[in-house]
Amino acid sequence: MSKPESPYPLAAHSGSLSPDTRHLLWSVAPGVIWIVVFLVLPSLYLIGVAFMTNGPYGQPQMPLTLDAFSQLAGFGFLGWSPGNLYTLLRSLWQTLLATGLVILVAYPLAYRISISREKWRALMLLAVVVPSWTNQVIRAFGWMNLLSPGTPLAELAQFFGLIGPNMGLYPSNFAVTLGLIYNFLPFMVLPLYAAFEKLDYALVEAARDLYASPLRAFWLAVFPQTLPGLLAGTVLVSIPAFGMYVVPELLGGGRAMMLGNLVASQFAGGSNWPLGAAGALIMLLATFGGLFAMRRIGKRLSGGEEVVI
Amino acid sequence: MKRGAFHRSLTLFWWVVMAFLYLPLAVIVFYSFNSANSSAYFAGFSLRWYDKLIHNDQLLDALGNTLVLGITSSLLALVIGTLIGYGMYRHRARKLGWLIVLIYLPIVMPDIVFGISEMAFFISIDRQFGILGPSLLTMIIAHVTFQIPFVALIVYSRFVGLDPTLFEAAKDLYASPFQRARFFLLPTLKPSLIAAFFLSFTLSVDDFVISFFNAGPENATLPIYIWGAIRRGVSPEINAIATLMIGAVLIAAILSLLFNRQKQH
Repeated sequence: MSKPESPYPLAAHSGSLSPDTRHLLWSVAPGVIWIVVFLVLPSLYLIGVAFMTNGPYGQPQMPLTLDAFSQLAGFGFLGWSPGNLYTLLRSLWQTLLATGLVILVAYPLAYRISISREKWRALMLLAVVVPSWTNQVIRAFGWMNLLSPGTPLAELAQFFGLIGPNMGLYPSNFAVTLGLIYNFLPFMVLPLYAAFEKLDYALVEAARDLYASPLRAFWLAVFPQTLPGLLAGTVLVSIPAFGMYVVPELLGGGRAMMLGNLVASQFAGGSNWPLGAAGALIMLLATFGGLFAMRRIGKRLSGGEEVVI
Repeated sequence: MKRGAFHRSLTLFWWVVMAFLYLPLAVIVFYSFNSANSSAYFAGFSLRWYDKLIHNDQLLDALGNTLVLGITSSLLALVIGTLIGYGMYRHRARKLGWLIVLIYLPIVMPDIVFGISEMAFFISIDRQFGILGPSLLTMIIAHVTFQIPFVALIVYSRFVGLDPTLFEAAKDLYASPFQRARFFLLPTLKPSLIAAFFLSFTLSVDDFVISFFNAGPENATLPIYIWGAIRRGVSPEINAIATLMIGAVLIAAILSLLFNRQKQH
């Protein structure tokens, strides 16, 4: 019995499978095939492109090389230049900075919501989340309006001598950091709030009774209890921040480019697919590496139990 | 005494963050009613930018594209995702780790990698076979791909919340698979299916990056149109269309609040 080729290997043998297995395959097959064909295959293709040679018209060609990666490290036709490496490091730095600042803002915010009267909490959480429901292009545009030359914020910065006269606060690295914080704050507040809501205050009071300073009480009694929420929030903020495209493109300009912009420019204007694909591969590795690391830490924290983030 | 001061400063901090969150949106709304072509000073109240919107054919096309893309992809994702959610639930006793990983893949993948890998893939196929060039079709395919997991997870969690004996009961009463679907599964799933459809639709309308890299020149959606207008140089019309989109979000927020209140009572 010859069957047409199926992208789903088990389905080819379904004749000999139990009805139960066949039922499973029928119900999940359309979705599995869809995701495999339209996401897994394209990703594998992109990973393949990263190891190919850049053709004369920006098309990937054989033979396989590591050229794209050495270009990413700065080795080009004109010798070594640090541009791409700076972009990589800048992405990393912006991600760390924005995640750190988001944590600093989200902690007091989540705590403030958790001590509010119960009927207000849902409304307060909604108030934090609603701006992130608007399109990210519009959100970045809002900041362009606020930071452009002549606005009160830009004039304030000029008054303090932070920027020159007739300049705006964007495009700049500062604007990118601000945009990242703005985009990802809710993703930190929600899991931290969930942790604060379950917080056992008896521990905090015990620490205070034993004359721990407020800071020490926070560190010993509050912080460990909110750590799972903090970890979940860190994953939800740092991974998409590292791959951010819209914010650095609109608020950053050339000198504040991040990895996402480098990747995109190689597929559009620059037309060096292998270089772009190599950047995308770094992003994928960072994503899965980050998820894996957080899973390991989460497991250790909860004493070996599975933590679903 | 000291505690009170701490509490007050937290409240103050809350309002500062609220200003930070809403100021960028408020500025857009404010200047959309500006009679002058500026986002730096306010000359007087006017609806001229809204009037211009109605006569902007490109913008109306973009609105149409957004709706067609959102509705088509959500309906497709609803069918495919519901099937996966059902399969995951019925066979939850099996080892389905591979399926879970596959379902989470579209969610965790950075959207720029998602969009670009599909673009590169579709372009290569187009070169070889002359199909799947950048068009509304490739956008629909890409959107369905990131919508499926959300539908599957919503449907799955609804099933998990049900009494498992209900499935046995339906079987014991000699309901055929079709009858079980028609009189038991679909009615119990209805609220989840509606929620999944609206979430999918929202995700589709909200998406910029994935659409941007898979769109042909004639398939601009609203976010793509706005992006282009910003790049060309800001026109106050953008404030007006952005205000309408912010308004839609606020209405959704109020509805969700009312809906939750109702559920609690």
